[in-house]
Amino acid sequence: MNSHCNGKVGETAVEEFHCNNGFSDLIIDTKKSAVVHRKHETSRKEAEDESRLPALEAAYTSILRNLGEDTDRDGLLRTPLRAAKAIQFLTKGYHETIDDILNNAIFDEDHDEMVIVKDIDVFSLCEHHLVPFFGKVHIGYIPNKKVVGLSKLARIVEIFSRRLQVQERLTKQIAMGICEALQPKGVAVVVEAAHMCMVMRGVQKMNSRTVTSTMLGVYLEDPKTREEFLALAMRA
Amino acid sequence: MEHSKKTKYSSGDRKDSPADGGAVLNGHFDGMVKRPAVASPAAEPGSHRATSSVMESWKEERTRSLEDNEMSLPSLAAAYTTILRGLGEDPQRQGLLKTPWRAATAMQFFTKGYQEKIIDVLNDAIFDEDHDEMVIVKDIDMFSMCEHHLVPIFGRVHIGYLPNKRVLGLSKLARIVEIYSRRLQVQERLTKQIAVAITEALQPTGVGVVVEATHMCMVMRGVQKMNSKTVTSTMLGVFREDPKTRDEFLTLIRS
Repeated sequence: MNSHCNGKVGETAVEEFHCNNGFSDLIIDTKKSAVVHRKHETSRKEAEDESRLPALEAAYTSILRNLGEDTDRDGLLRTPLRAAKAIQFLTKGYHETIDDILNNAIFDEDHDEMVIVKDIDVFSLCEHHLVPFFGKVHIGYIPNKKVVGLSKLARIVEIFSRRLQVQERLTKQIAMGICEALQPKGVAVVVEAAHMCMVMRGVQKMNSRTVTSTMLGVYLEDPKTREEFLALAMRA
Repeated sequence: MEHSKKTKYSSGDRKDSPADGGAVLNGHFDGMVKRPAVASPAAEPGSHRATSSVMESWKEERTRSLEDNEMSLPSLAAAYTTILRGLGEDPQRQGLLKTPWRAATAMQFFTKGYQEKIIDVLNDAIFDEDHDEMVIVKDIDMFSMCEHHLVPIFGRVHIGYLPNKRVLGLSKLARIVEIYSRRLQVQERLTKQIAVAITEALQPTGVGVVVEATHMCMVMRGVQKMNSKTVTSTMLGVFREDPKTRDEFLTLIRS
């Protein structure tokens, strides 16, 4: 499920964050150690993808027919297979965990200034209409003796964005993922996206953008730190 | 033209099959495009059998009705539920409870071009006007669906035409774009269909259509090239034959 283990993690640095949220439908036993928390269950194994293809293909064939198209015409002959593989790719975040990608890239570094990685392109699927939304993510964190390989921040974005998502939850999950991996002094995540469900259909507002943010730790408590992040990350 | 469930799917058995054997794809004759005779002053290019059959199919095509939409909604929703399960999601969780219905309705909206006929959209908005200078409508936002991956395509369409005593209401150009783009499409075919529809409606001296789009199937998956754009164009009539006219059109849409 699109849940991320949350609830109070047993490390003191993280407890200060009060990063309680109610997104998960799973009740996590908070007495478990943080290490066990991070090994949260994936709802889909990569090996199962092949075996699930036929059912997805059949569903797409049914969709094409019900839309009034001719599934035997040349352009649509292999579309059910391609569309099934495409949507599996677009939801591949379900079979990845933070641990898999982070395992070796956390380094002890005596650095306690802000680190920002901005303009990370993000692509996700709206869970309400199964239509893409895409935009940019800006991440900032203040390390607490541990820094993370920079591309790993983008990989964390990939894990959570390649799912059926709601932008609010995506933002929070990215922040929580970094929080639990590094136990930094603070994490800030801003996501700015265009939702095709608003642009291509419904209200059809071409230029609208949705911006969500999550501030944890010192970014939440200290307005000046937050301002510095926003000035550096959101600068045109 | 009579419309039954059987003929909805088999688009090849139309009474007006084109002479050159081109298949009727995507609800519209998609064989070789017959350019309107440039020198002909008459409105009806009736002498050429293939062209007149194109005229008929353009006037009468319709593959889906609102009742069809209503009736196919439950099966569409069931298919989407299967997809959600196949992806490892739980269709019973709160955020996904009504998603199959929403996704089905959304997909029907993205293919609503199948419900509309050019003739309905254009019928009254063709005017006799003694104007023979280029008319351009540019930066028309366009949203379509890739027929290979069922993933959105979006971009802009620029249309120019040289009237031959008949002009078209400007918004009707955008409506023609809507009819053909709200389908399962291939960008090349979309461009040609727009150009052919304008040609058949107005018999102008020439038509130029340029479509510039981003394909999510290339951006979100596959090669994942964020900034790539695909540009296709169709030039008919004097736009094809006279380089200066084409240049003028291309310069004006660029500025």
